[in-house]
Amino acid sequence: MRPSLALTLMARESRGSAAKVLFFLACLSVGVAAVVAVAGLSGGIDRGLRREARTLLAGDVAVRSAKPIPQAVVAQVSTFLAAHPGSRSAELYEMVTVVAVPREGGQVASALVELKAVGPGWPFYGEVKTEPPRPLDELLAENGVLVAPDLARKLDLTEGSRLDVGGHACTVRGQILSEPDKLGVGIDLGPRLLMSRAGLAATGLETFGSRIDRKILIKLPDDATAKTAEDFEKAIEAELKPDSGIRVETYVDAQPGLRAGFRNATRFLGLVALVSLVLGGIGVAETVRAWLASRLDAIAVLKCLGLRPREVVALYAGETALLGLLGSLVGAALGTAILAIAPKLLADILPAVPIPAFSASAILRGLLLGTGTAVLFSIAPLSSLRLVPPLRVLRRDAEPLEASKVARLAVALVLIAGVFGAAWIQSGSPKLATGFAGGMIAAAAILAGAAWATTRLVERAARGRLRVTLRHGLAAVARPGAGTLPAITALGLGVLVVVGMLLVQRGLTASLKADRPDEAPNLFLVDMQTGQWPKAEAILRSQGAQSIRTVPIVTARLASIDGVTAADLAARRGDRGRGRWIFTREQNLTWMKELPKDNEIVAGALWSDPKTNEISIEQDFAQDLGAKLGSKMVFDVQGVPIEMTVTSLRKVGWRSFGINFFLVVEPGVLDDAPQRRVAAARVPTGSEQVVQDRIAAELPNVVVLRVREIIEKVAKLLDRIGLAIRILGGFAIAAGIAILAGAVGASASRRGREVALLKTLGATRAGVVGTFSVEFALLGLVAGVIGTVGGGILAWAVITKGMELPWTWRPAILLLSPIGAVILSVLAGIAASTSALRKRPIEVLRAE
Amino acid sequence: MTTAAPRIELIGLTRRLPSGERLLTILDRIDLSIAAGEFVAVLGPSGSGKSTLLALMAGLDRPTSGEVRLDGSAIQDLSEDALALLRRDKIGFVFQSFQLLGNLTARENVLLPLELAGRPEAGARADALLSTVGLAERGHHYPSQLSGGEQQRVALARAFGTRPPILLADEPTGNLDRATGKIVLDTLEQLRIESGTTLVLVTHDPDVARLADRRIHLVDGRIDREERTVAENVP
Repeated sequence: MRPSLALTLMARESRGSAAKVLFFLACLSVGVAAVVAVAGLSGGIDRGLRREARTLLAGDVAVRSAKPIPQAVVAQVSTFLAAHPGSRSAELYEMVTVVAVPREGGQVASALVELKAVGPGWPFYGEVKTEPPRPLDELLAENGVLVAPDLARKLDLTEGSRLDVGGHACTVRGQILSEPDKLGVGIDLGPRLLMSRAGLAATGLETFGSRIDRKILIKLPDDATAKTAEDFEKAIEAELKPDSGIRVETYVDAQPGLRAGFRNATRFLGLVALVSLVLGGIGVAETVRAWLASRLDAIAVLKCLGLRPREVVALYAGETALLGLLGSLVGAALGTAILAIAPKLLADILPAVPIPAFSASAILRGLLLGTGTAVLFSIAPLSSLRLVPPLRVLRRDAEPLEASKVARLAVALVLIAGVFGAAWIQSGSPKLATGFAGGMIAAAAILAGAAWATTRLVERAARGRLRVTLRHGLAAVARPGAGTLPAITALGLGVLVVVGMLLVQRGLTASLKADRPDEAPNLFLVDMQTGQWPKAEAILRSQGAQSIRTVPIVTARLASIDGVTAADLAARRGDRGRGRWIFTREQNLTWMKELPKDNEIVAGALWSDPKTNEISIEQDFAQDLGAKLGSKMVFDVQGVPIEMTVTSLRKVGWRSFGINFFLVVEPGVLDDAPQRRVAAARVPTGSEQVVQDRIAAELPNVVVLRVREIIEKVAKLLDRIGLAIRILGGFAIAAGIAILAGAVGASASRRGREVALLKTLGATRAGVVGTFSVEFALLGLVAGVIGTVGGGILAWAVITKGMELPWTWRPAILLLSPIGAVILSVLAGIAASTSALRKRPIEVLRAE
Repeated sequence: MTTAAPRIELIGLTRRLPSGERLLTILDRIDLSIAAGEFVAVLGPSGSGKSTLLALMAGLDRPTSGEVRLDGSAIQDLSEDALALLRRDKIGFVFQSFQLLGNLTARENVLLPLELAGRPEAGARADALLSTVGLAERGHHYPSQLSGGEQQRVALARAFGTRPPILLADEPTGNLDRATGKIVLDTLEQLRIESGTTLVLVTHDPDVARLADRRIHLVDGRIDREERTVAENVP
């Protein structure tokens, strides 16, 4: 058959099929919209981070360290600058600290801030917005600081106000409204305070052990290429020891950690979006099945007139593909509209880069997956077209042509492969794709089984004694061709996804906010020098603090384990990132005679070998390091190598919120090492601010971290993330509802006849609505119950096995979800039955 | 002197169908030969196997045993594809229930076989046929907008579109009143003569059968007797 003839026949075939077309659009567009929105967001973030790389880095290259940058590296930078006229450098230091405003009577008001100290020239790219809008150098000169509007409000600061930073008096010169290199993602521990690098040096906050993120930013000459940046990066890295803790980043890298993080997140979200599309596919399969069932006579005539079986299949497959494309186009438009508003809705969890609403690659992906889904899920009904006997033109009860078992198996395998392929496209991971496809198939099979069982049960139930409304409603569910199976499967899958996501998110948030033990600390003091502890303790006790605990911290670098250097151990790991970082990062060591209550020895014995320096390691950390009982670990403690033997392994109850360490050393080994202190305490509610104010006034370098505030910020972030997930889960529900409505619509003529007959026999409209409601309520109930149970099992697995958190029952969600499904099902079903309900008996009976 | 193969030849044709645990014999060892251009009517009571005979001739069904030959070539073992092509090129159909495609206009219904066969100037041929059957002005109407007689005339136009060597008609006037049926039959006859088509027509109406060159009477799946318009009765 010529392509032009095929298109002509397709166009003719689609006449009088408005309902079919609408349903196609509804089924597919929801899922495609979700796919396009997620893909657009992911791609937009990635491209945005790359495009804004220089601005976000505020330079072309950044040399970064948590410790003072070695002179050798500083010299290397200077040499490079000298060799590349037009290049410049600036320092950038960031840290968390407490600032204070003197009040009357010797009181202070304090606040935790994220301090940023910048050298001349910052930012090399992008704009800083300040109020008043004056040159930055001018605003920050002579101990000038700029504060975020939040901070100004909190401490009642105006231009000219005094603000003590590290006990050093500074002057507020205005507000900082925006910074080009602020990523805007995650949690801010406090509002921004901007000062000059020289100003920070004057505060005395740069002491031993201060947690400062130090950077040297470099701007390359204007004509420099990416290669110049990369060459410089390699030159610096070549001179660094693997465990130096110094990282070099270029704008070419473009925030690799953040991009990887978002890629992982959107990979997961992409699979959630795919669920909606798969549900849409189920709806498409049902539409095609119903449509082809209504075309059997016509198909027999076409075969009689000389259309070959494969031409018949091609004709209807082509029509399906075209409709799929149309539905996908609508979905792509919808997804683009969502992408236009998503960045505003999710501002807290997305980086501050422009994300364009229109993404050609996302739209293309949506069109491909949408059209592919339509064709894939239609394969089974389409392939049965080959079996329509042309003899049907003479005898309606003619037996279908024989189906090949191999062909049936092939169709099933193609469907599974298609779902797997789509999942691979969305997730980029064959492992995830396998899990997704397997999970979907298992869930669909269980739901289909439940639908079948429901139908059988209702068929056999003794309905004789039931009221007529109930009786007829139940009978409708069991009727052949009622569409029970796809409706329950689709709606059930939607409920499963939404309930599962909701339970996981609630579980995470609850775990954060969970009732902590009474003695759990609600306040931590960090960056404290040893000599400052007595005064800090006195302040705590004066405010009624309980459960006060303090431990020393010595920072060290791991040199070797059992004779293998940390550098070699890191190299053996092969992958960049966490696997190697565990060997190269700075380790925090402490010592104590007795372990706190939330530590349990699981192997060996604490401080049991007087002949050696002993160390106790948390068991999971030991596994990550590859250390075991008896291992010899050498630490470089501020230049002094100290060997220790692992004599015990511990299990730590991290959720106690106490001060805990991966590495605990035997007392006496590190007494003389340079150290600082950390302390934890539980202060009465209402006294936290008083403690912070007094610490800020008397110990300005000590940072006070208030647990409740941090938990609330994390919980808020989780809520926003949960919102994004629930929106996507909502697409799945919408797809399920669309399928239910479509199944109802497909049986509209039958329902119309039914309504006509019932009305003729004396049923009122309310009675008919009642009958339909019983039918839809049962569908919704079965789907809701199975979906809720499935979602609960999924959430339980994720929380207890994936995140290793305790499981909490949520009766409200578990109870309300099936009820919600029933309500949605009834509302959607009745809405879809409106035209049938309006039919008058005479219209239908005359048409017969 | 060689004689041309019959247009349609049935040799020992048998068709059985399962009915519960039994096998029902619908046709039992039918031997029949129809020459090119002949008009043969097949009569018989309900359940005598008339429609099954027609279906086997058209390759719509497969015999349990025996052969169906069209122009000397056996068709019973052809693939579904080959049978579809055979029907496209060689066989036209007229059905009792018209079997027009409801989403196509009258003209498009007539066009369809011409388009499938890739015939040139299909549009002109369709218009000419519609004119022949007296429906030139109704080509843009859908079947639901036509009367039964008009629909059957459209079906006739469709059946003759490709000038098929064979036309099979299954009770073409079965759903029509007498007067309309006569119009349809006259049109059928006119088109048959113009095209020289071999026509096999199934009917239960003796008046309709009288128009044929030959009448085959089927009883319980067997040929009971045969009559020719100008030949002796064959017991």
